[in-house]
Amino acid sequence: MISETPDVIAATGQASMVDRLYDSVMNIYRNHTFRVTIQAIITVWAVITFTFFLIRLMPGNPIDVLVEQIMVAEGIPYQDAYDRVAASFDFDPDASAIDQYFDWFSDVLRLDLGTSITSPGTRVVDEIARFLPWTLFAVGTGLLVSFVLGIVLGMMMAYYRNSPLDHILSLFASFMTGIPNYIWGLLIVIVLGIQFNLFNVGALRGTYDVSTTPGFNLPFIKSAFEHAFLPIVTYVVSTLGGWMLNMKSSTMSVLNDDYVNVAEARGLKDSRIITAYVGRNAALPLFTQLTISIGFVLGSGVVIEEIFVYWGLGHYLFASITTRDYTSMQGVFVILVITVVFANLIADLTYGFLDPRVRVSGQK
Amino acid sequence: MSFISSIFSGIWSFLKRISKNKAGFLGFIGLVIYFFVTFIMPSFVEFDDEANLDEITGPIGSRIVLAVNVDDADRYHTLEDLAGKTVGVVTQTGGPTFIEPYEDTLTVEEFSWSSRREGPGIQAALVALANKEIDAMLIFSKSVTEFIDNQEDPELRQLFEDNIVISNPTLGPSHLLGTDTQGRDIASHIVHGGRLLILTAVLGGLISTAIALVLGSLAALFGGVLDNVLTAITNLILAIPRFPLLVVLAGLISFDNTLFLGVLIGLLGWPALMRAIRAQVLSLRERDFVEAAQSLGLSTGHIMMREILPNMISFVAINLIFSITFAMYEQIGLVVLGLAPISDYTWGVMLYFGRTRGTLFNADGASMALSPVLAIALFQVCLVLFARALEEVFDPRLRSAV
Amino acid sequence: MNQKMNDDVVLRVDDLSIVYRTKRGNVQATTDISFDLKRGEAMALIGESGSGKTTVSLSLIRKLPKNALVTKGQVLYQREGNVRDVLKLSKRQLREFRWKDCAMVFQGSQNAFNPVLKIRKQFEDTARAHGWTDKEAVRQRALELLRLVRLDPERVYEAYPHELSGGMKQRTLLALGVLLNPQVVILDEPTTALDILTQRAIIDVLNDMQKKLNFSIIFISHDLSLAAEMADIVATVYAGEIVEIGPVNDIFYDPQHPYTHGLLTSVPKLDHEQDLLTSIKGAPPNLITPPSGCKFHPRCPYVTEKCSVDGPPLAGDKPEHLAACWHKDALLKAREELAQEVAQ
Repeated sequence: MISETPDVIAATGQASMVDRLYDSVMNIYRNHTFRVTIQAIITVWAVITFTFFLIRLMPGNPIDVLVEQIMVAEGIPYQDAYDRVAASFDFDPDASAIDQYFDWFSDVLRLDLGTSITSPGTRVVDEIARFLPWTLFAVGTGLLVSFVLGIVLGMMMAYYRNSPLDHILSLFASFMTGIPNYIWGLLIVIVLGIQFNLFNVGALRGTYDVSTTPGFNLPFIKSAFEHAFLPIVTYVVSTLGGWMLNMKSSTMSVLNDDYVNVAEARGLKDSRIITAYVGRNAALPLFTQLTISIGFVLGSGVVIEEIFVYWGLGHYLFASITTRDYTSMQGVFVILVITVVFANLIADLTYGFLDPRVRVSGQK
Repeated sequence: MSFISSIFSGIWSFLKRISKNKAGFLGFIGLVIYFFVTFIMPSFVEFDDEANLDEITGPIGSRIVLAVNVDDADRYHTLEDLAGKTVGVVTQTGGPTFIEPYEDTLTVEEFSWSSRREGPGIQAALVALANKEIDAMLIFSKSVTEFIDNQEDPELRQLFEDNIVISNPTLGPSHLLGTDTQGRDIASHIVHGGRLLILTAVLGGLISTAIALVLGSLAALFGGVLDNVLTAITNLILAIPRFPLLVVLAGLISFDNTLFLGVLIGLLGWPALMRAIRAQVLSLRERDFVEAAQSLGLSTGHIMMREILPNMISFVAINLIFSITFAMYEQIGLVVLGLAPISDYTWGVMLYFGRTRGTLFNADGASMALSPVLAIALFQVCLVLFARALEEVFDPRLRSAV
Repeated sequence: MNQKMNDDVVLRVDDLSIVYRTKRGNVQATTDISFDLKRGEAMALIGESGSGKTTVSLSLIRKLPKNALVTKGQVLYQREGNVRDVLKLSKRQLREFRWKDCAMVFQGSQNAFNPVLKIRKQFEDTARAHGWTDKEAVRQRALELLRLVRLDPERVYEAYPHELSGGMKQRTLLALGVLLNPQVVILDEPTTALDILTQRAIIDVLNDMQKKLNFSIIFISHDLSLAAEMADIVATVYAGEIVEIGPVNDIFYDPQHPYTHGLLTSVPKLDHEQDLLTSIKGAPPNLITPPSGCKFHPRCPYVTEKCSVDGPPLAGDKPEHLAACWHKDALLKAREELAQEVAQ
């Protein structure tokens, strides 16, 4: 980038060595990929540190919760109950939060999220590995379906704007975005499951039918889809309206662009204009929004998974809140934050492949 | 006088503008109805807090009916017809309350709800009626059909089917939305359960909009280090999964006051809007009239209050509505998980109980969960339709942050 | 219907009238427009904005806005002896007709290219839409054309639109315009939004290409100097009507319509001093309720009572130079006086 002739370097002498070092460091920093990656890592660190202390500073701790339960259930004095619980727990309530943080964080750096407080010996990493794939499966499928559907329907709304089709779809979209996703979940259970008896909600608890063997076989895949069906439908219905409305307004602005007009004058076939000229350009801004919605949909999984008794990450988080299992809660947060931040990072870095205007300059 | 008339003409022109957008007008009308139902009707409708054991999970429209012996089917239709006669009621049902005003004109015979000696109270009363020991009986419509249909003793079943008819199926007041798992009227709970919920959501929305407005304008107007710091903090907070954080905080703090929950929601809800407002102020600052004010040497505060804020009112108002829908989303989400106060009987709490008491799986009792679900869903839809209409009416170029 | 055309006529517009339906009423955008365009000829449509010249050009490839309605007339193209009315083509025929018979370079073609596709893709798309699938042949032809518009062909062909400057895009669009060897190329304000040097380059390229490829040009402009340089025939459009049409020299040195004269005198000439620069008084008429008689009469300095009653026919002493005015003599006299004043 910066090419100085040898003469110049010789003339400026010693100082320029430092300058050049500084320049090369700054050049690395100016590199877009490098910079946004560093920013993402710092963001993850700051957020998990913040949540660590926030959670520890809240009233109550896991020992007190269980001590109280045991005192009530077995009618034994506080000290006996405390001793028993403290012995079985992997947690010292008297240690300072700072010490706990450094212990925990050094573990995190070694990709170890610690062991569960309330059931010692259970590694949080293993628990998350057990629950996370199901959440990613349901959320990913749901978002993919709603994104594709939303793009198609949104384009239809723009092409037939002000027609009855547009008005009906717009109203549907307002309903879909307006109604909270867990309300959609409950509506689906009540109306389709109970009133119309289309499926047995009770039989769809969990993530797959235990009589099947996990692996790449048809019965297992079929049962996995059946169990994830309701969460997926909920994610689709609750996010679809947003995609439709966004795609409609995006398409309408693209339709006013000169190149669409010129493409028609060039005698291109409609199918080619709709896909490569209108669709591709109109969908570009939606990809950025897709990464934002990943965070939101993952977060809302806590309620959805509780409603459908779907054993994913949200269900695990909720369970760990009720027992105040700090390490499990923090483990889930670490995973959620990393997922959200790195989804944004990947979107940022790959956007150039979708939009050549960004690719060349290397920066947004 | 002219002040009042100018307010009216302002409202009138607003109505005319909003009525151009049909969906938005529908939303507006819906909000007016919601305001009426949740803020005015509670003064006229009493909160039904009386548990009635035979009215549990009564379906929509169920009510107290008058059962008589088949021979009297044409004679007794109202309680006035029964003056001087004996009417049976079962304790701990809606019957005793309903007959109280008539106690002077007729004889009331009370059957104990669970007296084992003569069988359950309802059965004893029905037997007495079939044998003409009493002239009529007040019973809940769901109970009577259920009791006769599910009767296992063939003799009793025959006795009931041959001798008992409903002479007045619309005697008592109808439970518009049925009854809950304690036999209480759901409609009255819907009327009373909206106000606190809406106020909390509005509180949360106001707090986050206010924070976003202050921080966003500060960042945009002063720029420099302040802007960098505020933007960095905002981006960090945006990276936290908001709802799980709220779930954890609510779970750990254990609120006992719904309004505190609204404050917490408001304190966490501002970052996305702050970014939008910052961008909006930045773009307004570039406009000619603001630059003119700056060149006149007017203070930043003056420029903000006099030049920028008036141009952002519709933008802020629209986003306030979206913030309210978000605050409501989070508040009810926490209630559904059981992490928010359930002492105030709001739509969210109705939903929580409807779910935890299993009425979801009972076609008759689904109303207990379905009613609040629909009340919440329609309210949110009205807000969204209204906000979108405002967007179109005021300035279609202003897109909302969420 | 007169389907007989001389062999050298490629485009005939016949009595074309177009109406825009708007909320405030019907706008009579063009009235009885007629002209012939010969092979290899360049015709300029000049006039103020809103005069209807763009409406005419859009109707030639049937790309009018949805609220436009052709109330009368036909647009005939002749290719290898076959005459077709564009206004009667089916949707499919129309698609095949566009660009292959008549290409249009739009006003402000800075955004004429899809930003996410390489120039190569956009050439290939155009070729394939007209049944030409041999990518290598398309490439050879495109490179040849890009060279003709004086661009670095290899580099531009593989570039994305945003990597090209405004002038480069305009020239690339010209190359794309003649890719399928059309008979007619319509240029709508081809040089606005370009700097003066680029304008110059575009004009040179256009003249060059037209000589080599022998297509006909219709170009729309309010830039008279451009018209003088490019056109063989000039038509002045006022309020949706052709008020004067003729060879370029006749129009510039012997304008017979007061409006043409007004346009000419409103442009400062660089080659000889002219301190009597006049502009046309008043504003273009409202076409929802156009003036009676000659539509120019409210702004005309030579107006008489007759003008507001009867519209003058398009007529002239020479068959190739026609003008619609009752008072050509008065104009001639005024022009002579003006010339004398300038001479003194």
